Amino acid sequence: MTIEVGPTKVIDGVTLRRDPARESCFQVVDTDAQMQDWPGMSGEARREKLHRHMNNETGALEIAAKALADFPDAPWDLRMQLARQASDESRHALVLYRRLREIGGRKGEFPVANYEWGVTDMLDNLPGRLAVQNRTFEAGLIDLLGAMRNTWRAAGDATTADLLDGILADEITHVRFANRWIRRLTEEDPRILLKVALAVRFLARANAQLGPKPGMTNAAGTVITQERTAPPAVNVEDRLAAEFTEAEVLEVLNQAGFRSILPTPLKAARA
Amino acid sequence: MTLTIRDKADALGTFRFVSVQLMETLARWVPTTPELEVKTLFGRHIWDLAQHADALGRRTFELRAALHYSRRPAAAYGRELDRLTAVTGTADRIASMYDVLLPDLAGRYDNYLKDADPLLDEPSVRVIARIVADFPRLRSDRAAVVGERGELAAPPRSTNGLRAIAQMVEFRPAGEVAAPEAL
Repeated sequence: MTIEVGPTKVIDGVTLRRDPARESCFQVVDTDAQMQDWPGMSGEARREKLHRHMNNETGALEIAAKALADFPDAPWDLRMQLARQASDESRHALVLYRRLREIGGRKGEFPVANYEWGVTDMLDNLPGRLAVQNRTFEAGLIDLLGAMRNTWRAAGDATTADLLDGILADEITHVRFANRWIRRLTEEDPRILLKVALAVRFLARANAQLGPKPGMTNAAGTVITQERTAPPAVNVEDRLAAEFTEAEVLEVLNQAGFRSILPTPLKAARA
Repeated sequence: MTLTIRDKADALGTFRFVSVQLMETLARWVPTTPELEVKTLFGRHIWDLAQHADALGRRTFELRAALHYSRRPAAAYGRELDRLTAVTGTADRIASMYDVLLPDLAGRYDNYLKDADPLLDEPSVRVIARIVADFPRLRSDRAAVVGERGELAAPPRSTNGLRAIAQMVEFRPAGEVAAPEAL
């Protein structure tokens, strides 16, 4: 089943879904260059990281909820997973908001962008959305959280590190159910593979056009270096737990230049 | 009066339809509600309503209906559900869902429990008792959010019409059976 996509916006030549509703305290921006992002773990950098993550979890909630509303004829068991995901992402946004306040931050302190929503909700079919949101963005979050929990712990903030580890466990289940359902749906109807491929191609085009480029300076005055645009270390163990195949994980490792947070070989990690 | 197997399946199928519809309403509201605290309130309760629908739908199969059999409620009640979906302001959404629709639904579950034979229909009674046990938490979650965001406690404008739902005696339609939902 496909649906009609709602209102859109055009950013640097890329058509994206118009932003979901945000309170007036938030400054909603469209590109990485408009975001504030500081290197290191200063107080400001910590608050911005939590603030950005809080908004991303809010976006993930909105994407899951919209999928429930847009695709009433999807298999019930898949809808149950989406409903659970909506609840999980709600809790994630709330615990991040709580932690943000604990360290002295507030809602709207930094700009936010709704890029994942903008890309995912341009897609008129559920397998495509699962491929982009769960299997790509959330899988990327598995890598990011795997690295970030260590960064926060090393910076002496075990509370936030533990919080991120809890979120990571949930994200694995979201990626896993998407992997299972895409596999099942494409087995039942191989034409769905084409929709998935088109969705991933759309994402790649959007990333190429709108992603941060080395040499750019963001709204905090931070110069974006080659290192800052590199993907985080691949979280092999948790990607396998999310039921990516070994071949898929190896492909991601290739793209990341074989950087892994695990020193063990892939097969040992799986065991 | 003893409920027939068909009555029981129809009643649970109707409860399931309403649970799914309320879940979808919350889901539709999430991206269009600005306040983070409310967005996440709706997001958490989507899962509660999905679990209610799931439990009801598994029980309908045991009552010789389809797995996840859903039955559209009486037309007037269905129209109120459609009106609920169209509510826009945040305070109005909260009031419509938590002060009108959910209490009404809780009352209808209670009525089913009063009519059911607690021994003969024990599996349905247990499913519904577990559902009803969630309602105080839904209410307290709502109270916590409104406590934090006082401006959302403003007198709602659009619930007056919806309140008529409580006077609707007819909940389940008479006559023909709705097609089962896709599995």
